[in-house]
Amino acid sequence: MVDLVYLRIYTTTVQSFMYQYDAIDQQLVEERVAQFRDQTRRYLNNELKEEEFLPLRLQNGLYVQRYAPMLRIAIPYGMVSSKQLRLLADITRRYDRGYGHFSTRQNLQLNWPKLEDVPDILEELATVEMHAVQTSGNCIRNTTTDQYSGVIADEVADPRPYCELIRQWSTFHPEFAFLPRKFKIAVCATESADRAAVQVHDIGLHLKKNDAGEIGFKVLVGGGLGRTPMIAETISDFIPRADLLTYLDAIIRVYNQHGRRDNKYKARIKILVKALGIEEFRKRVDAEWEHLRGTESTVPMSEFDRLASFFTEPEYEALEDQPAELTAKLAESNGFARWYERNTFDHKKPGYRIVTLSLKKPGQAPGDATADQMEKAANLADQYSFGELRVSHEQNLVLADVRQDQLIELWEAAKENGFATPTLGLLTDMICCPGGDYCGLANAKSIPIAEQIQQTFDNLDYLYDIGEVDLNISGCMNACGHHHVGNIGILGVDKKGEEFYQVSLGGASGHDASIGKILGPSFAQEQIGDVIQKIINVYVDSRTEEERFIDTFRRIGIKPFKEAAYAKAD
Amino acid sequence: MPKLIKNGEIVDNTYVWQQDADATATENAIVPMQKWLDNQETIGKVAGIWIDAGEGVEPLADVDLSQFDVIGVNFPSFMDGRGFSYARLLRERLNYDGEIRALGNFMADQQGYLIRCGVNSFEFAEDVNLDIALTLNKPFSVAYQGDVADPRPVFLRRG
Repeated sequence: MVDLVYLRIYTTTVQSFMYQYDAIDQQLVEERVAQFRDQTRRYLNNELKEEEFLPLRLQNGLYVQRYAPMLRIAIPYGMVSSKQLRLLADITRRYDRGYGHFSTRQNLQLNWPKLEDVPDILEELATVEMHAVQTSGNCIRNTTTDQYSGVIADEVADPRPYCELIRQWSTFHPEFAFLPRKFKIAVCATESADRAAVQVHDIGLHLKKNDAGEIGFKVLVGGGLGRTPMIAETISDFIPRADLLTYLDAIIRVYNQHGRRDNKYKARIKILVKALGIEEFRKRVDAEWEHLRGTESTVPMSEFDRLASFFTEPEYEALEDQPAELTAKLAESNGFARWYERNTFDHKKPGYRIVTLSLKKPGQAPGDATADQMEKAANLADQYSFGELRVSHEQNLVLADVRQDQLIELWEAAKENGFATPTLGLLTDMICCPGGDYCGLANAKSIPIAEQIQQTFDNLDYLYDIGEVDLNISGCMNACGHHHVGNIGILGVDKKGEEFYQVSLGGASGHDASIGKILGPSFAQEQIGDVIQKIINVYVDSRTEEERFIDTFRRIGIKPFKEAAYAKAD
Repeated sequence: MPKLIKNGEIVDNTYVWQQDADATATENAIVPMQKWLDNQETIGKVAGIWIDAGEGVEPLADVDLSQFDVIGVNFPSFMDGRGFSYARLLRERLNYDGEIRALGNFMADQQGYLIRCGVNSFEFAEDVNLDIALTLNKPFSVAYQGDVADPRPVFLRRG
């Protein structure tokens, strides 16, 4: 029934609320496909050396992994239309094994494509205004932002037009394609919460208004995870939006020239900022900016207007909050009430709600979605949310504009398709990298750890009682699973060829960002569920009524957790 | 005569890239920047200088660059992108309008970006087929950012 309804709606809905390519955008992605097709052909003909093809394929998101290549498809700032998602589903079916992995950079990773098929995949992506440009390599990566952009009440302004501006500026930037290391930018537009983790990015942009009411950005620099996790420092309290691109150029030009290139583990901008100190770094950036400020790259108001025109509001109906059927259902169904409480969020318009389709179903790798699920999610988007979705940094999908009087229907449909795990923000809503099951870099598997934790904490009442905990798992020091900023972080390490897991506590990625502290010696894989249980027990025993896990940790420190985790059984 | 690509054509390479600072500087030599700076009173006429990765263009701030026919930018590795900024700064900051030559271990596939940063000649390693390399120098016919050839970003060019 859902599918029939979708067909009717889909054929009559043509309006878009996302950025739309014009001839220039389309030409660029098509020329990129042709370029990569030729590079792949030359590589397969031995005309291009392995080491030369490496950076070229990485700049197109193509890794050669443990068992097969991995292709990372860009989903700029997490926005994807139902039409695009349907093609992605189709691609995973025809070129892969019928599933994909949504990443913390809001992208989609295919785990089993054939190298020689990648040009064809890219060509298909280009037909729906998609690509894999700069999803890897030592260049500026996909800019990320809040998955609730444009639909929450308290944002300073919709960050997506600025993300699109940054996307265009960073795409094929001639000067910054061979930086010392990868470069990640995130944008946040709310005071109440930072869902984009801007403080742990190479550049974090905090959209704000100055006292005169002008829009600009507080600019943070030098945050990052990986081997040496650091919280970013403020380089400027306010850069007017017109100057954003010249200021970014100035920062990255300083980094490109002075960032370390002798050791890849010390090559991120955070190491340069730390080595110079923020004062000296700022001085150098300002000196560079003096030359760039006011040049042609200054963004005119007409461009902000043009970009903003793509992210218009859909035609919301005049609705009332909390319609009677919703109130009744909340009272009557505990399952629905839980899902509503956890997986839906306040919308700026009365009568609407933001809904997260969870990709954290027990038994499924966190962030993974099957082709069927992608198609179902696309259908749900068409039926309930104006045909668009967002990928969240926590590896879930979001329907941003759902009518409250349709929530019950949507919940039923979400349940049918494995999207209704009502655990958003709870312990089992884990961030998890693909780990040693797929990734050539990983020291250890991460998916079985996620499974073990899901099994240990399979009681919903208990999970709700524990409350909000960010648990993040990375299979190696590269920290794709953001373990440093998990309230509980788990890191896979290699000990003489065996997989062990180091646990850290107290990390956070929001406005109160902090790097977790290592609990102590690492644990064997089979111990992890038990160890996390002991840690949670300490929290439950020590918490005050209003404290979340992170609050209790900050109050009592690591010691009691350490004692419990390493206590010998009597 | 060795060949190179200059302004989109395969031509004779009439200069000699002197990597060794102890080599005798000749009129057709591209000498190390630091050597030239240290000996500018005595070194006599040379074709130009070359900048190594890590040296930057700041030492040239007060030098009359118009005396050089060529300024080389060395790429110790094709992963080392410092030269992209150096070329751009030579053009946009120091207003050098002579030849900027990519030297060392860069790739044919990097020509498009290098050209946009102001490089206009490419001294490839001997094993590179220049006819093929020449086909790779303009992968894109449009660009989002301003560059050395056209400082206007796309938002000043969209119809």
